[in-house]
Amino acid sequence: MNKSIFVSVAISGLLIGGAFWFVSLGQNDDAGDTSVVSMIDGKQVIDISAKGGYSPRKVIAKAGVLTILRVKTSGTFDCSASLVIPKLSYQKFLQPSGTEDIIIPAGKAQGTLQGLCSMGMYNFQIIFQ
Amino acid sequence: MKTYTFHVNGMHCKACSLLIEQILVELPNIDSASVSLATNKVNVTGDFVRTPEETAVDFTKLVQSHGYTISVEKNAHIAGWGDFAYAVPISVAIIFGFFLLQKAGFASLITSSSVSYGTAFVIGLIASVSTCLAIVGGLVLSLSASSAKEGGTWRTQSLFHVGRIGGFFILGGLVGLLGNSLHLGLTANVVLGGIVALVMLVLGVNLLDVFHFTKKLQFTLPTRFSKHVVKGSKHDHYLAPLLVGIGTFFLPCGFTQSMQLYALSTGSFMQGALTMTVFALGTLPVLALLSFGSLNIAHKPWKGTFFKTAGIIVIALALLNLANALATAGIISPLFNF
Repeated sequence: MNKSIFVSVAISGLLIGGAFWFVSLGQNDDAGDTSVVSMIDGKQVIDISAKGGYSPRKVIAKAGVLTILRVKTSGTFDCSASLVIPKLSYQKFLQPSGTEDIIIPAGKAQGTLQGLCSMGMYNFQIIFQ
Repeated sequence: MKTYTFHVNGMHCKACSLLIEQILVELPNIDSASVSLATNKVNVTGDFVRTPEETAVDFTKLVQSHGYTISVEKNAHIAGWGDFAYAVPISVAIIFGFFLLQKAGFASLITSSSVSYGTAFVIGLIASVSTCLAIVGGLVLSLSASSAKEGGTWRTQSLFHVGRIGGFFILGGLVGLLGNSLHLGLTANVVLGGIVALVMLVLGVNLLDVFHFTKKLQFTLPTRFSKHVVKGSKHDHYLAPLLVGIGTFFLPCGFTQSMQLYALSTGSFMQGALTMTVFALGTLPVLALLSFGSLNIAHKPWKGTFFKTAGIIVIALALLNLANALATAGIISPLFNF
């Protein structure tokens, strides 16, 4: 009995540890993408694609500038089409294929902006610096 | 004329107590029966020829097909801690598998941007092993395992699926016809996600069968409502599983919502209805496996391990859903990114 409990605890511990290691893979070592940020007519444009999650997951952009978040979908039927940005009180169901422009006023382009799908499983961050 | 008091095992709702009262009162020698759900006791008044012990055996024969037993002595509560030795690693392995499945990126398998009925079916298949598994699958597992544990039959489980597919047909048609999407707003989404998570949490803890206090937290329908349901059938609850099945249309599952959006764009009742029905059929294999699987296992010798495994998985998914609902509300930052 005691032996089986010991084995059970050991296997569970190993699996839980493994799961955390696995989920954290490529999450924090991500330094933040700047290549998707561009300036067009004095406005900052950030391109993010949504399909089976958001890409890139971490974007570094300039703070205090009128920003357009351009979300591109192509055959997106999963949760990432249901975009929520709590800080902007934004929620919209994106068309399966197309682009959606979300305007972020200069005043809101501060700190970290978190976007996620309505079930919360996929998310992305924009860090305004 | 004498009054005996017996202990009842296996009661979980007000409808159960009504059902037992009805069955006992129908006996020719019984005058009245009153069941207390709070104490799990029944007071029976009538002319008894046999001893209380023998009467308890007779009564049990009448009600055991519904999953109840009646006894003179209170049955000792057996928590079955030994089952955890198997249940914990199995459930952790399954949860690990769930995370792997999410990382596998099934969603990118869908390449077409237009939706034929074939695509809708494939999207349904993918949805049932994807993020929706946490919320819809978790709910199905918690409800069917709980129902199987309380002596529910295949009828309860089938009615849920009939309700789900029928609900998707009618509501999908309405979305197409009215052009008014039945999406819930952000707040409603978060609240609903939170409620589902809490229901799953309570059911999951009940499945573990370790604590007694959650019995009191169980959701019981009002007696008057239960009476109607019970009078219609003595065997099972018909309405509840049907309604829950229909209700899954509104669950915050991304795939369901994008299919609703497509149904909306069709602008016709039949097309909307068929798209949603085909999608629901796509999710059926996995969901049916969960519900009929738990029903089968409920009669196997290792059912104790199964219920504890299901309990742990349901609790884990409930916590995941709760964390997700809070993250969507902007209260906490997201814990996971698949």
